Amino acid sequence: MTVDNLINWFPFGAEWPVLTFVTAVIICALPVFLFIAVYALVAIYAELKVSSFMQDKVGPMGQGVGLHAWKFGILQPVADALKLILKEDIIPDLADKKLFVMAPFIVFVGAFISFAALPFGQNIIIADMNIGIFYILAVGSLSVIGIILAGWSSNNKWSLYGGMRSAAQIISYEIPAGLSIISIVMLTGTLSMQGIIEFQSGTIWGVLPNWIIFNNPFSFIAFFIFFISGVAECNRTPFDIPEAESELVAGAFTEYSGMRYAFFFLSEYAEMFVISAIAVTAFLGGWNSPISGFMNSSGWGVFWFMLKSLSLIFLMIWFRWTLPRLRVDQLMSICWKVFLPFSLVNIFGVGIWSLLVG
Amino acid sequence: MYKYFNNIFVAISSILKGMSITWRHMINIRKGNVTLQYPEERWPRPERDIGFDLDSYNVIRSRLQVDIDDCIGCLKCERVCPVQCIKIVTTKAETKGEDLPDIGHTGITSNGTKKALIVSRFDIDMSECCYCNLCVYPCPEECIYMTGGPNSHKHPIDYEFSQYDRNDLIYKFAKDVDDEKISKYVSKKIK
Repeated sequence: MTVDNLINWFPFGAEWPVLTFVTAVIICALPVFLFIAVYALVAIYAELKVSSFMQDKVGPMGQGVGLHAWKFGILQPVADALKLILKEDIIPDLADKKLFVMAPFIVFVGAFISFAALPFGQNIIIADMNIGIFYILAVGSLSVIGIILAGWSSNNKWSLYGGMRSAAQIISYEIPAGLSIISIVMLTGTLSMQGIIEFQSGTIWGVLPNWIIFNNPFSFIAFFIFFISGVAECNRTPFDIPEAESELVAGAFTEYSGMRYAFFFLSEYAEMFVISAIAVTAFLGGWNSPISGFMNSSGWGVFWFMLKSLSLIFLMIWFRWTLPRLRVDQLMSICWKVFLPFSLVNIFGVGIWSLLVG
Repeated sequence: MYKYFNNIFVAISSILKGMSITWRHMINIRKGNVTLQYPEERWPRPERDIGFDLDSYNVIRSRLQVDIDDCIGCLKCERVCPVQCIKIVTTKAETKGEDLPDIGHTGITSNGTKKALIVSRFDIDMSECCYCNLCVYPCPEECIYMTGGPNSHKHPIDYEFSQYDRNDLIYKFAKDVDDEKISKYVSKKIK
């Protein structure tokens, strides 16, 4: 379901090109938005349950009368979402109102437009660009502008600190993430998401799936560097100093409430999915089946892609409820002293490897 | 240089160790769960021993309980209640001291008193009750009492009575019979 197909299919494309383009984009964007909303509910439920299981609790159970979160608290995220929607929308008196109102949507857009280049299946990709992965990396760092705007316009010391920290963190971690993607691009010789996935079909020695993570030792390390940097870009817990509850209340989101806060929440989960999807595409074979030739049709491709992405999201949740928050200086030193040299060595190593082996 | 790589090794190994611990806890949630789903499951009540028997308590302030078969409908408890949380409705029976199995009415109380009234409503709103115990003293048949303590042989102690709905705190002790059935046995004079 590419945008181009839709545009070609419309009968009046030649007469009203702009209208055709806008209609095609909206037709593609609506399902993605619905998908994000539904997926966020599932992810929030998983987060609640996994967190409490890891702490020997049972999580939301909802054993009340009527439709009180239903069985096993399945409706708990729905209730949370309804509560956030119904809450009063407070804008502080001294806030910069225009920026304050705009910020959550900029953050959400940053996560939302990355979905345009995610290959959900063999044919299910909104826009199969020849620079797909570059586009996602470029667009993914848009959300940092929103967070800085939120921190600045709230006119609150905690928000400002949170925004500044988030800027420092996200921009730093873009570098190792980008460098590990470069090593993949060197290996596959393409920037297109579908091209990277097609490179990974087949097997190594007939046993292992021919995924890039198993291709050579350097890309194995690159996966972990990319994934951990991705967790840092999502502001998830081992790296959540921008919204550290115990230091900054809620960081850049301190002054937000109701629907606007819900959008920050939604974009955090959407960003988690984007990071996992890139990791799956670039390292774990995308929609390729783990066993070659087993359930490898285009329909099952969606299943494998979602399964892999959701397991990586589970890994992120697992990280969150295991590891304590890093200090600011530790965070920066991990990025600049460990990830950066390692990813540079990776690029060198992949170059040598593809010269000698590939 | 050694310190740098050693640091990385320690970090990775300790992260793996920590994550294996949380994984183990998540897998063993059925065994290791510490949460009690309160109204459905409760901890066992510990044995209480402060040096004398339960029977020698003078007053225990728990839930009010009524043995409706012994109630003669004298309204003394309703009148004495300082917060008006007891509501009783009675009608005069046709014959004094006669069993009416149709509406679950017993004619004679356990003290031997012949009942002249049919109690068609006996509600106690436990959300309003102030646990003053004043309704217990005037009762001629000793049919209203606080559960547990000296009355443990009549009714086991009930001190939580947690409910999801506030209306469920209104305890209805009278036999649940519709008015038409009762009206058959109501005294002719009233009719």
